[in-house]
Amino acid sequence: MSISTPGGPERRPTVVSTGKKPAAGRPAAGAKATGAKAGPGKSGSAQRTGGGKGPRKPITPVKVSQGRSWGPIALFVAVGVLATSIVGFGAWATFKGSQSWQDKAAGIDGIVNYREIDPDGISYESHQSGKIEYKYSPPVGGAHNNAWQRCLGDVYDAPIAAEHAVHSMEHGAVWLTYRPDLPPADVEKLAGVIRGNDFMLMSPYEGLDAAVSLQAWGYQLKVDSADDPRITEFTTTLAQNASIEPGVPCSSGNYTTGTGTEPRELAPPTGG
Amino acid sequence: MPNATQGAAQAERNGTEPPRPSRTLRQLTLLMAAVLLLGVGWTAATLLSNRVPGEESAEAGFARDMSRHHAQAVEMAMIVYAKGQDPALRQIGYDMALTQQAQIGHMQRWLQEWELLPTGSRPAMEWMPDAVPVGPDGLMPGMATREEITQLHESQGAEVDQLFIKLMIDHHLGGIHMADGLLEVSDRPEVVRLAEASKQAQQKEINELRKLGLADG
Repeated sequence: MSISTPGGPERRPTVVSTGKKPAAGRPAAGAKATGAKAGPGKSGSAQRTGGGKGPRKPITPVKVSQGRSWGPIALFVAVGVLATSIVGFGAWATFKGSQSWQDKAAGIDGIVNYREIDPDGISYESHQSGKIEYKYSPPVGGAHNNAWQRCLGDVYDAPIAAEHAVHSMEHGAVWLTYRPDLPPADVEKLAGVIRGNDFMLMSPYEGLDAAVSLQAWGYQLKVDSADDPRITEFTTTLAQNASIEPGVPCSSGNYTTGTGTEPRELAPPTGG
Repeated sequence: MPNATQGAAQAERNGTEPPRPSRTLRQLTLLMAAVLLLGVGWTAATLLSNRVPGEESAEAGFARDMSRHHAQAVEMAMIVYAKGQDPALRQIGYDMALTQQAQIGHMQRWLQEWELLPTGSRPAMEWMPDAVPVGPDGLMPGMATREEITQLHESQGAEVDQLFIKLMIDHHLGGIHMADGLLEVSDRPEVVRLAEASKQAQQKEINELRKLGLADG
């Protein structure tokens, strides 16, 4: 019942206006036949202009027998193509959307997303002073000291306290760490990636299980070569974006610029 | 009334040139041509108006580089706010730090809207019309060196004021220079507006700083 009713009221007016007998499927069949003779692409308009009037019908076939007007057909096709491409482009743009930095990060081969696989491992209650045990090495988040390590493209030539570096990462910094026995030429290559860029810092890291390990809050990528193109991919994609306090600076404030893995307390108020 | 059109069409058809399309068809053709033109125009307009600055545009370069340039000004301004001797200077520091930090936010937002990363793939200042070379340390014109920043951090008393004035005047001159570079090549409204505003503010602050420098010195 519910299937047959929707069609009913729509069919009715047609029947009434034509004032003819044809039942359900008939008029459609008749129109189709006319349309087919009228040539492809024109059946709709022929039918519409016909308006269901009787005398009209014979005219259409006559027209057709005289050959097609290619100009209009080409135009119809052009409009069709244009309409399809507009719709297609819109659909494609919508589908593709804007690729977020998260998508870009997920696209980096070998990256580990701890925000996804271990959110508890990088959560923390509040700032904490002194030494802190970290679950991952190098750490990718979690509790940290009050002071952050300055991350204005700073290249530290000695290990730094993770307790400060983790705070830098909270501010959106990418912390590049490398094995201390890396050749100086490689270290210089890495420095070239970091130096001069806000929200980046680098330092050697004792006991690293890869040549280079890159960290941002909740993200890590370990690579075996200083030439690996994923290094730049990681730094540019995650620097600042990975901040969990968006808008907070890396370059100013109560930062520390000292090296050594012993965490420092906040410097006393700077004078006056 | 359909009969009228029809009659005309029929008359035409019975005439001399059989292959001629009917009037209806011609009207339809014209209509379709109009639709086609409109469609092309609309598409072109949409594509053009949706165009945002790209990875290597001056606007993106400005947003990235001025953010970093500003970041150092914020740092210096916070130092003078915390320990400057002259209250007027502390006031300027406060004003500068908040304004420039907010502007960093604006510029970062543009980059997000343009779907660009905060860090560029090209060297800093390369987008400038006169392609300003930037040293290996990444310091752009006017920026203080690491040593100068450390010196400012460690300075005390009246030395803070004098050092700040000197460093900030240079910094602002560099900032104005960068804003000029952008204004020379860009007509993107939001970027032009910020470049102009920051240029004017920094010019005024330079005047102010010079005055205070003379008074304090």
